[in-house]
Amino acid sequence: MTDLAARNEALGLADVLERVLDKGLVIAGDVRVNLLDIELLTIKIRLLVASVDKAREMGIDWWEHDPSLSAGDRDLDEENRALRRRVAELERASSRQEQR
Amino acid sequence: MTATYLYAITHELTDSDIGDLRGVGGTAVRVLHGDRMSCLVSTVDLTEFGEDALRNNLEDLAWLERTAREHDDVVRAGAALTATVPLRLATICLDDESARQRLNEFGEAARHALAKIDGHDEWGVKLFADRAASDPDPAEPVVVSGTAYLRQRRASMLLRERSAGRMLRVAEEIFECLAVLATDARRHRPHDRRLTGDDRPMVLNAAFLVDRKRLATFRSAVDVLVGTDCDVSVDVTGPWPAYSFVPEPALQQDAET
Repeated sequence: MTDLAARNEALGLADVLERVLDKGLVIAGDVRVNLLDIELLTIKIRLLVASVDKAREMGIDWWEHDPSLSAGDRDLDEENRALRRRVAELERASSRQEQR
Repeated sequence: MTATYLYAITHELTDSDIGDLRGVGGTAVRVLHGDRMSCLVSTVDLTEFGEDALRNNLEDLAWLERTAREHDDVVRAGAALTATVPLRLATICLDDESARQRLNEFGEAARHALAKIDGHDEWGVKLFADRAASDPDPAEPVVVSGTAYLRQRRASMLLRERSAGRMLRVAEEIFECLAVLATDARRHRPHDRRLTGDDRPMVLNAAFLVDRKRLATFRSAVDVLVGTDCDVSVDVTGPWPAYSFVPEPALQQDAET
């Protein structure tokens, strides 16, 4: 028995966003959502994810104005670089596919 | 202008299986038939789901929440019926023909993934280091000056980090034990504590692909493992569609070549 079909309202937004934005099979559609934008958004959501109510009150970019969060966040910079590398790889892969 | 929004790849389904299912923006969900598999789709308007519109909408938390839950609802409906591979939010093709083409490009990888997750659900297990264990000195710091306050904050932070190290090892052991009972397991990045507003650090954020027949064993293992360590508390979510157990992009390519 499974209650999979139950509505997801009771589930935390954080858990839902983590999965639908960050997991799931990636198929490049015709509507090119800039993967970099999406990935950066995902990072923002990851940071925000446990305090979405707070985020909603303050606007999604509120941490950018909080020096204790934005100053020297090397993890984020590193992740950013890793993501850019991954995007470049994916783009190369998808252009290879298109050539075939 | 309209386009085809893709939710999930499933074992073969028919429109009557899904009934009156609604997707993003209340659009009617249909079954698109591929090669020995199906895809749940709906027709969306490009004024909301075109490239420019999406760039703005994805930054709008209210829109994002609504759309994410609607997307998840459809994936769940699929997973309740048959093996279902969730697609990432906002996978959009210009029409059904293009969607079918993409679908068939993933044919072998998708069928492989469907076979793997058939009869399974994803379960989320988060572990938190309890405050009592993570903060040996819960007393409010006496504020003498700004510098003293910062020094005190730093000292208590260091203590917390040190005991968090032990918690991470406990979390790792629990993860390894549960992984044995699951068909597959993934570690996700713990949600950030600076923004949780919760002093308890999240020491594990994991997903397990659990055979429905072994669910009872898995659940009781969670209780036993967490119960033996009074310093951690657990948050279990599920069943989820198998979001965390779809092929990685690199593996998709391998499967195609």
